[in-house]
Order: sequence, then C-alpha cells, then structure tokens
Amino acid sequence: MIPTIQASPEETYDIELEQSLLQANAKLAAENRAQLDHHGVTAIDFMGAIGSGKTTLITRLVEKFKDQLNLAVFNGDATTVDDVNLIASQGVPTVQLATVNGCHLDANLVGKALLKTDLKKVDLILIENIGNLICPAEFPLGSRARVVVVSVTEGPYMVKKHPHMFLGADLVVINKTDLAEVMGVKVADLARDAHTLKPDLKVVPTSCKTGAGLDEVAAALLAVTKSGVHA
Amino acid sequence: MHELSIVSGLVESVLDFVAARSIKKVLGLRLCVGELTHLETEQLRFCYTAMTEQTAIHGSTLEVETVPAEVNCAHCSYQGPPKYWDEALASAPVATLQCPRCGLTAEATRGHECEIKTIKYVT
Repeated sequence: MIPTIQASPEETYDIELEQSLLQANAKLAAENRAQLDHHGVTAIDFMGAIGSGKTTLITRLVEKFKDQLNLAVFNGDATTVDDVNLIASQGVPTVQLATVNGCHLDANLVGKALLKTDLKKVDLILIENIGNLICPAEFPLGSRARVVVVSVTEGPYMVKKHPHMFLGADLVVINKTDLAEVMGVKVADLARDAHTLKPDLKVVPTSCKTGAGLDEVAAALLAVTKSGVHA
Repeated sequence: MHELSIVSGLVESVLDFVAARSIKKVLGLRLCVGELTHLETEQLRFCYTAMTEQTAIHGSTLEVETVPAEVNCAHCSYQGPPKYWDEALASAPVATLQCPRCGLTAEATRGHECEIKTIKYVT
C-alpha cells in the first residue's frame, strides 16, 4: 500500500514573499538614469516646502546656465501652471508634471517627461518636485543630485523636523537669507542642523533677491553636470 | 500622504498574488519598514483597511515590523547602529548619518526597506 498524504481541503499557509514595495519606483528611476547617462544628460531634482523658493531659484539658475548649457525644466505641480509658464517665458523647453492629488513626483512621471524631451539637444534637466518636505524623499527620480531648498521664512526648525529629506540630499540651499534678521532665524543654526544629520553635506546660503550665494550653487551644480558629461 | 501610494502598490501586488492561485482567504500580511523611511505604521494600516474594502483581501490584517537602521563608515570602518540626534526635540530618536565613532559621514546600509515579508492565507 502506497502511503498517501493528502492536503486537507482547507489549509493555512504562511509564506515568505520578500517583495519590495519601493522597488518598482527604484527600478524606473534606474532606467531613467541609464537613459540620461546614455545621452550624457544630467538631471537635478529640487525638493523643498511650498514657498521655499524652488521656482525662483530655478529661474535664476536658468539665467546663469542658459548661454553655456542646453537646458530643459520639468515642473512638478499638483494643479497650477504658473510655475511652468514662468520658466517657459525664459525660452527653455519645459514639461509640466501635474500630479493632481499626488504629493510627490515619481520615476514613472519623470520617465514620461523624458519621452517628451529631445535628449540629444539637452545637457541639463532641472526637475522641480512637488512642494513637500516629506514624501519626495522616498521616491528617487533618476537624477544625479538631489537639492533641498529650505528658506529662513519657514522658521528655525525645518531641518530638525524633516531629517529624512536632508539625509538623502546632496546639496542644501538655505534661501531668503535677506530676511533672516527680520525672521529672527540664524542661517548658521540651520546649517549646523544639516551637518548634524550628514557632516559632509554641502550647504549654501542664498538670496534669490540679492543674488547672494547663487554663483556658488551654480558652480556646485555645474560640477555635477560636468561629471555626468564625461561619465 | 505617500503611505497611500505605497499601500496602493501593496494591495495591487497582493491581489495579483491571490488571483494567480486558488486562495480562499488572505488572513494577513507582515510588512518590514525601515527606520530611515518616512512611513508611519498607523497611516499604513489606515490606508490598508480603506483600500482593501470591497476587494478579495478585505478583512486581512497588516502587521508592520520596524527594521532598525545600520550604517557603514568608509572613513573608520565602523559598522553598526547609527548615531542618534538627542536634541532634535523629536518624540522618537532621530537617526543621523554621522559616524558614531569618527564623526564623519557614514552610509546607511539598512533602514530604507519597505517589503512585504510574509503573507498568510487559507486555500
């Protein structure tokens, strides 16, 4: 008689799956990056709260880079088109990434924007993420560097309150320094907090109004771009 | 509320898993979430309950396990738990990338994960 083991009609299984939920975005981000690298294009992602000055900083950088690099700008915006119109008025190819209710850009949206961009004619893409200091941290886009823009008008605790955003940053811009005194916020304290989280983080205080610090930001981003071109 | 995008991916993959097998009922899932992610357990659970309503996995439970962070320092070869920022005024300790031994920048080797670890179901 051959022994037979029959599964009972109802059986409970507890099996290992080990499936990453961030993997889908990470994979698309890697594909974006490979496509950019293939064309010698550098993408830089700008993150920061609403009103920190991301759009203004990008317009100032466009002015600085326009004559030496072929630029494109992707504007992430939940609903409005003011930002993308402002950048487009500078004569730079732009793509609006409308997330509608989404609180962050993801690699899929950026991949679609890349399809609408002639990568043979572009050296540098500046990507403006959705105004949010939390959600975008979890979603890499395929950029070569991530910039976090924080402004003194947001108060003295922005770095402490959003550590994850700064842990993943390559460059921190402390903006609106012309208002630091009236706001009673010490730029050095924000910089110290950023360095507590990540000692080698490059921090540049700027004022898009007076132009202070903008050359330093441009130089840092240019260095990243050059490293991409020759990679 | 990026928990919503994470949970929508989670629900989608579990529904795919169920559709591909003869599964009568999914009892529960175990999720591993790294300390360095910005994911809140309560919000993940809330989104899961809301999003599984009227699906084949309605009524299943979501257990969330936190994976502690770990760093690796290229400067002094330290490997282990990160340095925590005590004065950050946070309710929970804030992990930093400052090497606990030499103070230079370390790299996170653990703490960024967000994985479905196990799935429990009845056939």
